[in-house]
Amino acid sequence: MRPQHWQYTIPLRLRSLFRRSNVEQELSEELQFHLENKIEEGIARGLSPKEARYAALRAMGGLEQRKEEIRDMRGIGWLTDFFDDARFAIRSLRRTPGLTAFVAITLALGIGMTSATFSMVDGLIFRPYPVPHPGNVVSLVSTTHDSPYDSFSYREYLDIRDKTNSYAGVVASAAMEAVGFSAEPGTTPRIKGGTMVSGNYFQVLGVEPRLGRGFREDEDQVPGRDPVVVLGSDFWRHEFAGDESVLGKTILLNGTKFTVIGVAPDSFPGMSTFGHPDFYMPLAMAPVFTTNLQKNFFEDRDDRELSVKARLKPGATLEQARNEFAVLAKNFEREYPSVNRGRSAAVYTQFQARTIEDENWKFGVIFLILALAVLLVACTNVAGLLLSRSRARAREIAVRLALGAGRFRLIRLLLTESLILATFGGLAGIAIGYGVVEWFHSKESIVFATELPMAIPFHMDKRVLLACVALSVLSALLCGLAPALQSTRVDLVNALKSADVDVPGRKRLWGRNMLVVAQVSMSLMLLTASFLMARGFQHDLMEGHAFTKDHLLMTSFDPRLIQYNAGQTQQFYKLLAERMRETPGVQSEALTQNVPLGNDDFEDVAFVPEGFQMPPDRANFNATMDTIDEGYFETLGIPILRGRAFLSSDTPDSTRVAIVNEHFAKHYWPGGDAVGKHIRLDSSAGTPVEIVGVAQTIKTQNMADPADFVYMPLAQHPVARMVLMLHTSGDPLQLVQPVKDVVRSLDSNLPMLQTRAYQDFYLNQAVRGPRIAIDLVGSMGLVGLLLAVAGLYGLVAYNVSRRTREIGIRIALGAASSNVLRLVLGKGLVLVGIGMVAGLAMGFALEQLMNSMLFNSGGVDILAYAVVVPTMFLVTMLAAYVPARRATKIAPTQALRYE
Amino acid sequence: MSKPNDLVQGTLDLLLLKILALEPLHGWAISLRLKSISGDVLQVSEGSLYPALHKLEQEGWITAEWKQTENNRRAKFYSLTRVGKKQLESEAANWQRLSSAISQVVRLEEA
Repeated sequence: MRPQHWQYTIPLRLRSLFRRSNVEQELSEELQFHLENKIEEGIARGLSPKEARYAALRAMGGLEQRKEEIRDMRGIGWLTDFFDDARFAIRSLRRTPGLTAFVAITLALGIGMTSATFSMVDGLIFRPYPVPHPGNVVSLVSTTHDSPYDSFSYREYLDIRDKTNSYAGVVASAAMEAVGFSAEPGTTPRIKGGTMVSGNYFQVLGVEPRLGRGFREDEDQVPGRDPVVVLGSDFWRHEFAGDESVLGKTILLNGTKFTVIGVAPDSFPGMSTFGHPDFYMPLAMAPVFTTNLQKNFFEDRDDRELSVKARLKPGATLEQARNEFAVLAKNFEREYPSVNRGRSAAVYTQFQARTIEDENWKFGVIFLILALAVLLVACTNVAGLLLSRSRARAREIAVRLALGAGRFRLIRLLLTESLILATFGGLAGIAIGYGVVEWFHSKESIVFATELPMAIPFHMDKRVLLACVALSVLSALLCGLAPALQSTRVDLVNALKSADVDVPGRKRLWGRNMLVVAQVSMSLMLLTASFLMARGFQHDLMEGHAFTKDHLLMTSFDPRLIQYNAGQTQQFYKLLAERMRETPGVQSEALTQNVPLGNDDFEDVAFVPEGFQMPPDRANFNATMDTIDEGYFETLGIPILRGRAFLSSDTPDSTRVAIVNEHFAKHYWPGGDAVGKHIRLDSSAGTPVEIVGVAQTIKTQNMADPADFVYMPLAQHPVARMVLMLHTSGDPLQLVQPVKDVVRSLDSNLPMLQTRAYQDFYLNQAVRGPRIAIDLVGSMGLVGLLLAVAGLYGLVAYNVSRRTREIGIRIALGAASSNVLRLVLGKGLVLVGIGMVAGLAMGFALEQLMNSMLFNSGGVDILAYAVVVPTMFLVTMLAAYVPARRATKIAPTQALRYE
Repeated sequence: MSKPNDLVQGTLDLLLLKILALEPLHGWAISLRLKSISGDVLQVSEGSLYPALHKLEQEGWITAEWKQTENNRRAKFYSLTRVGKKQLESEAANWQRLSSAISQVVRLEEA
């Protein structure tokens, strides 16, 4: 029945919607007019006025029904009905403000938690790359036995770019690194984060600069020729106040002059999840930024620093790209056996890349599961409340049904109510979600202890808000549907009787029983999860943390900021170490590339233990390494188990030496002595390095099991950026000034970075960081428990109120308190018992999931269950006992009067 | 009051449109006119008349205006729209086809 002419019908419908009172009045008038005329006709035919009126009314067959039929014709019935229902719902909700508030808050907590954790999972996994057509951007990675996600070298990148056919363009970028930045020559450089990218980066990804232009391909051709830079939009705003005249300006990066040729758009903060580069430089300028002084960035095929991404050509499939890439990798292996043995290659979609690259997303998923559990508890709570509420309205519903309302119409009414509740809850939930995300952002400085521009990628953006809305609607349906269905299936006769009859029957409370069981089990699972997580982190803390943490000062240096070359750098560190050793108050000093649990990446060393026969599919083994000086082990209190620490006699001219940790020694020479053995660097024909000592294993990386570790002396393995650590008997911060004096005496331009007491840093990494996760899960557990307790209390109290008369009679007949308690509590206890068993099962499953994803501790944590189960039992019993006790106090006379 | 003959909804639309094609009328007048023209054969009940009128209005085939009657009372007068006129022509044509077909069958000689 499609309207033929919109110019008539649209104004009509709008009028029916918005000028309803007018339209209604007109309708009444029209029918009234007709009625009067009919009466007149009756009178004219000889009837008396009264008879004429009766006859007319009878003929018109009930004015109200006529009106209703006419209203149905208006075609917007469902919409006006909805507004009516909504208005009625709000009115009846207002009459029970306490209940309404409780329900809204409950839903808000559930929806808020879920949306916040969804923002986590979204930010870590699903959010598409901030480029046009992100769907066909793929990641190209190198894979080995040890790592499914390894980088490529410059030469390999060139080969990939030139020898593949599946892509419209192949780009490369290096990891974001610390770069010394000065806006004006002569000012002390500050550390900022820069990323080197290939010349076609912006063009292939489709990023249109907001100002100026991106790189041209020819600007990346000749090493060192084109010192151009593109600024990130945030950086441009902070440093240059959004001044457009920045184009063409010269800035200093690591002491070298660069010209600003463009500014990236706001929509492009970078391709990486956490790091948002301050600026982008061409790969050709690598010598200015390179950290690895041992390898030649442009030539060495095993200097793997580049992350490669590509856009699939239209028409090319992922399958084709993968096959082609596998063939290319085989070719590499054939042509360069020394560096590519055992290396294959893969093409990953965004989803794969994000989930394989690191493990953070696993936390997000676990949090999401827990938040959904909270939401479920909240919904079941609300459903229970709505159910008891609709019981109280049984009379009203029966009357409506008797008056001729369709069942579907009534269900619509009740669902509208839950929709209104869910809307309130949803809006409040969005506010809670914002709050949680903001809380996360406030912890950024704890999570990222670095000068580089890192950010937590959780945002309440459009996608998350949409999820919120969907969640609210879903919860409304979940909470409201069952009660609505059940309450409209009413036996009219019974409901209309004045007494609040309790119809005995087994099916009756089945729904509510299920709710209680669900609540108790979810709540138990949540509590177990928070306990397990706390224990997991604690366990993590116990292992391998046996080194000195207090009375230590740490501060970092990067002589590249003042354009020191390798020789000057080595000299600087040598003098620094000497002078610091002589400074009063310093008990011992150490230089290390990265502190234990530090945020910077440790280097990797590829080696072949002397005399080992390497299997045909790999060229070497890998281990993490640190570059240190002679004072390291003493300063950090790490015992040398065999052999010696480094000495000043380990110089560039003497034999290459290394120290390994006990884990490494046991791994490669189990039962033997590692001291005196040799390893060869990179391949079995590489430089031999003698192992002179074995150190106790300590945990060097957060949230990872202790692993093989190699130490090399700074004198033999030059590195630009080092951390100075000083041990003192008093407050480490007292040493800051003496260090400043020494540094100034060596070079007044060199800045000291990240100066702090190591203990602070350690606490952040090992304690406060995990604390965030524990707090989040703990609060979810608490909320779940509170909701379950409230739900149980509500159920028992409701039961008592419904059976007041029955209980009164029993007491009058001589029932003792204990009998009454048993009567009221009996069912509840059984339900709690079932719920706890179910909860235990779920908790157990969750523990396995957490183990596989996070802690690798394996097995079952008995203590957790031993604590959580009795606690839960006690709390729920208390919740049920309080209203039950009230039941025993019922005065029979009062109860019988309750009619 | 005698029961009106069964009128199919579609034919009621046709009748109303035709009556309003002659001149704009209010609801009461329409029912009177219909009775008088058909010689008391067609009497539409109020239960069918007003819903049908409102539906025609929703479809855009007729439009309404509040005017004064001869007795100086306010009433809602309906009139045909341009689109309604086209609809009337098409429905009238349909009715012609239908009724002649029915007549043909009914006129068949019984064996």
